[in-house]
Amino acid sequence: MTKITIPIGPQHPLLKEPLSMKIDISGERVLGGSLRLGYVHRGIERLAQKRNYVQNVHLIERVCGICSHIHTTTYCHGVESLLNVEVPIRAYYLRALMCELERIHSHLLWLGILAKHVGLDTIFMHAWHDRELALDIMEEITGGRVLHAANQIGGVRFDLDEAQVAMIRTAVEKLHIQVEGVLDVIENEPALIARTRGVAPVSADMIKKYCVVGPIARASGVDVDMRRDNPIPPYDQMEFSVVTLPDGDALARILVRVHETRESIYLCERILRDIPEGPVNTRVPRKVPAGEVIIRSEAPRGELFYYLRSDGTDKPARLKIRTPTLAALCLLPEQMSAIQVADIPVVLAGIDLCVACADR
Amino acid sequence: MIEGLFYLLLFPGLVFQVVCGLAYEWLDRKLLALFQRRVGPPWYQPLVDMIKLFSKEDLLPKGVNERIAGLLPLLSLSAVLTAGLYVPIAGFSLYAFEGDLIVISFLMSVPTLAYYLAGILSIGIYSLLGGGRSLLQYFSYEVPFLIALIGPAVMAGSWSVEGIMTSQHLLGPFILYQPLGFILAFVGLIGKLKRDPLDIPSASSEVVGGSLTEYTGSKLALWHLVMNMQAVVGIFLLINLYLGRSGMTKPIIAIIIFIVECLVIMGMLSATSAVFTRLRIDQLAGVGWRILVPLAFAQLAFVILMGV
Repeated sequence: MTKITIPIGPQHPLLKEPLSMKIDISGERVLGGSLRLGYVHRGIERLAQKRNYVQNVHLIERVCGICSHIHTTTYCHGVESLLNVEVPIRAYYLRALMCELERIHSHLLWLGILAKHVGLDTIFMHAWHDRELALDIMEEITGGRVLHAANQIGGVRFDLDEAQVAMIRTAVEKLHIQVEGVLDVIENEPALIARTRGVAPVSADMIKKYCVVGPIARASGVDVDMRRDNPIPPYDQMEFSVVTLPDGDALARILVRVHETRESIYLCERILRDIPEGPVNTRVPRKVPAGEVIIRSEAPRGELFYYLRSDGTDKPARLKIRTPTLAALCLLPEQMSAIQVADIPVVLAGIDLCVACADR
Repeated sequence: MIEGLFYLLLFPGLVFQVVCGLAYEWLDRKLLALFQRRVGPPWYQPLVDMIKLFSKEDLLPKGVNERIAGLLPLLSLSAVLTAGLYVPIAGFSLYAFEGDLIVISFLMSVPTLAYYLAGILSIGIYSLLGGGRSLLQYFSYEVPFLIALIGPAVMAGSWSVEGIMTSQHLLGPFILYQPLGFILAFVGLIGKLKRDPLDIPSASSEVVGGSLTEYTGSKLALWHLVMNMQAVVGIFLLINLYLGRSGMTKPIIAIIIFIVECLVIMGMLSATSAVFTRLRIDQLAGVGWRILVPLAFAQLAFVILMGV
């Protein structure tokens, strides 16, 4: 059979964000592929050097459209540690609540896309329907569905009253019941398991070689989770399980995220139970003392890495963002061999692409 | 002469089948929407879609033989229309003759082969892939489908759809004797229609639009019409072969029963689409040859032994 090259992207039904892949195929077999990035590069790291620390909170939020909150949380935590200010415990809890809601909504979004890619449109619709519940909670407490503007340096910009806590608690319970139905289908659908078992396996060595993080690493048996390994409060006071699976194939990547969604719902319930009373923010100075800091946090897609250097002014001297998707994308060409054309959507969905994050 | 034109153009010919095809598309989309917690389109949506497509510019890539590209959907359309003439509707049959079951099953395959040719002829990578896949899929579902169709014919001792239908007046619906055959024919029909979960040749996440990626405007509209009408003819065929009524009834009751049966099969098609994941082409071939074909033979053997 002759070798032909099929383009996937920058525009393709498979992709929600622009990305370009050239995939060599022979019949239904995939021989290899190459990748091109940069269609949504916005120069955010450079822009951050021109704005002051307060303005940057709003710039950083726009790195990603799905996990916007974890970016600002990581950034604010970095600036706070440079400033050496005491952030109220309640603020940490509120941030963590938003982080977990964001993880639920991100994983449900991913689940919908996966289901769509394998032709299971019903689960796509149901998952996105349930995701609306998580978005509704976030809208109720911060006023924004996608961009929440919840964080500020020194705390958060919103507080919950008793009525809101009760509302969120019932909404989370409802979410729990509905999501359980969808996850149950995903775990037990035989055709889906047949489509994904043994597809594009990635070994733990490969994961370490490419520095891949997050659910993909955990699906290959690499036990990393920044919430546990390098916790930002309040995760240091919380008990939760980190799910790892040994197989490393597409099915394991699905199941890891399914378990994580459950764990996040459980964490939301924990946070709502344990949240202490108190103020939600403190006043901080505009100028940040000179120094540098590295912050690592767990975004829905894995470890988020921020490097921040200050030269004593009110603007950062350097801000480096490394997102989890970038590492996972490097692994993509490796996975694009020994699979079939029909597996390309499964492999891509397994990565849980966030091209805007990767391009910044 | 005028009577013949009436049959060809109005009932059970062109107009009737087009209306049924559009109604099928709307019902299908509406049912699927209900399964997926959506609202679904209004009843005139398929019609306005079609009008819109006909008003669009008709483009094809450079180097494609436009005449053949335009001929293929027309050929499929005429094949499906002709097949529709031979399938009895609510017990009413025009041109029945001994052996029309074979003619119908041949005519029903023409759109698939034309679809394959459309993919190969329109110069595009995705079309090429979709065309190849449609042929592979054809070999997987067609054999069990045809073997399943032999069952009712053997049981009735007739190769005419009308003969099979009328023999069920005495014996009762064949679905009672051949539930397996009915399921196999149903699966074959899904494969023929390239419906989810057997939409392998046109899976948008894998091959964009399949064979029809490069088709636009009126030619694409014709292709959609062909698919819908093929579905209608297929549903009518299944009803006649497996759900024939027992005893004679008044025409009006016969029509109502026929419509209800159509709706039941429609509901089954939509539910199957909503519930199942799309298979990979190698998995489909495996299922087709290792499971469906032996099952079809088992059903046929059962029918023959029962006759003895």
